Amino acid sequence: MTHSKTSTMDLAGRWLVLGLLAIYTVYNVGPIFWLLLSSFKSRMDFFTMPPKLFFTPDFSGYQAVFGIGAAKDSASAVGVLDSLINSIIVSVAGTSLAVFFGTLAGYVCSRFNFVGKGDFMFFVLSTRMLPPVAVLVFYHLMFARLGLADTRIGLVLVSIFANVGLATWIMKGFFDGVPKEVEQIAIVNGYTRMYAFLKLVLPMVKGGIAATAGFCFIFAWNEFAFASILTTTQAKTLPVKISAASGATGIEWTQICAAGVVLIIPVLIFFYLIRKHLLMGMTFGVLGRR
Amino acid sequence: MTATNPPLAPETQAAAHAARQTQLRKRSSGRMMIFGFLSPTLAILIFMVAYPIFSLIYYSFFNFSALRQGTMKPVGFNNYKFLLSDPDLWDRFIFTGKFVFICVTLQMLIGIFVGYQMQKNFRGRDVIFTMLMMPMMLSPVVVGFLWRYMLNSEWGVINFLVSSVGFSKVDWLGQTSPALWAAAAADTWMWTPFIVLLATAAFRGIPETIYEAAEVDGASPAYRFFRITLPMSAPVLFIALILRLIDSFKQYDLFVALTGGGPGSSTETVSFSVAKTAFSYFYTGEASALAVILLVIIIGLSMILVRHLTKMGEKY
Repeated sequence: MTHSKTSTMDLAGRWLVLGLLAIYTVYNVGPIFWLLLSSFKSRMDFFTMPPKLFFTPDFSGYQAVFGIGAAKDSASAVGVLDSLINSIIVSVAGTSLAVFFGTLAGYVCSRFNFVGKGDFMFFVLSTRMLPPVAVLVFYHLMFARLGLADTRIGLVLVSIFANVGLATWIMKGFFDGVPKEVEQIAIVNGYTRMYAFLKLVLPMVKGGIAATAGFCFIFAWNEFAFASILTTTQAKTLPVKISAASGATGIEWTQICAAGVVLIIPVLIFFYLIRKHLLMGMTFGVLGRR
Repeated sequence: MTATNPPLAPETQAAAHAARQTQLRKRSSGRMMIFGFLSPTLAILIFMVAYPIFSLIYYSFFNFSALRQGTMKPVGFNNYKFLLSDPDLWDRFIFTGKFVFICVTLQMLIGIFVGYQMQKNFRGRDVIFTMLMMPMMLSPVVVGFLWRYMLNSEWGVINFLVSSVGFSKVDWLGQTSPALWAAAAADTWMWTPFIVLLATAAFRGIPETIYEAAEVDGASPAYRFFRITLPMSAPVLFIALILRLIDSFKQYDLFVALTGGGPGSSTETVSFSVAKTAFSYFYTGEASALAVILLVIIIGLSMILVRHLTKMGEKY
């Protein structure tokens, strides 16, 4: 009798778990679905109650984002395409440079012991923890003085700074995974350490470099706080443009939704490419070696 | 030591000398590499972090506005005294604290629960896992606007769902307490996947044999979860916890898009308050002092995190 009792309990427990998981899935995926759906709504369909699930798709939001069609002349759409281009330039340049510097620093941190290494690593990691608003007060003044305010170069600089710490930690994790014997054998055979690094070790962490780039790109692409304060007209990135899409005519919801979808697409592509390395990157390489 | 050693033959001495030379050269080439490889990163970080932070500390002792750059009046600790005696600032801290507490609790509970389910192998696991990670990949501004749109009291889909199951509509973003919960729901939506990711990884890292042994001993599922799974994944979960503590504590972007700090100023986090003081009122000195307070708290949290990261780094 006890047997059947426990199995009923087990069954109830299993249904409870399934129910909770179903609720979480709806909570998790629902808003993304709603964003995608809404990006195709016209202004009219947007505000109807009850919300429409079926409607004729309208591309005015996307047209505004890419600056084509009828939306080209509407005031709020001006510069959205420019801001997309700004976003691409800033995140690609910032990511490449951050990964380049981070790879070098990560290698040294993985292979050498030097005075103040622990402090250096903490200093590097602290950039990930730093609240942007804390340094923003100063950047605001410094950028004005150096003529970097509202320029792409200024934002690239910020993007390098914001990601180089992450890149260093992730790359250190990947270098830790390469056996030290690789360099030892090369040096015994008369090659220099530099040769061993460039020709032997680097090719072994190719995947890691790609993953690191993916992470830095996602962060650079979504960055908002710095870009919103340090740009005014010329160098606005897409997230900043989205936040400014509320004007005299109210918030341009269709444009915001369409721009939101446009913003996710490159991230999803990167996410798919780096999915195997996801854990390693997110945990600063601590978990990845299992 | 050298005095007690017998004198070496000249050839041996020469060989030893040569060996020492190569060793020295190797060490100095290593030093060159350390210097060369670290200096760009170090230069960027000194220019972009250390220098600003020291300037920030310096500014925090002045009555100073970025709008009037010439006039800097030294005021000692007055900015700090003013801030710490300002009841508004304590409200910001209380709001931030409530927000952090709700977010971190919800995210850890849901994340561990979902992560525990995701560690099992089942069909379509990778697809579902990827789908679950999507909110984390969105820009916080988009997340803010998306939730603001869904939470709209008149035509938002959430109030539609609320009223269709028989409850009365809620003015989510127009009242203080619902706005706090709305912001927490949005943050939890965005960052629970992060905990799921780490928890799944931690749970999958526990050796199967331990579970098998427990099963032989007749341990119940609950016993296995609380006595094996949780303790063995505790270090990773702790890192996840600290990272979420720090991130939700400094949350700024989400509030800009979701509530704009309102209604009134009731949903302003400490970060938000720094930005407002610095870039709306241009009280640069005061903003600097507030930023310094924020920094001290975050550096304290980070140090706990780093200590655990290094400990884990040694273990694996």
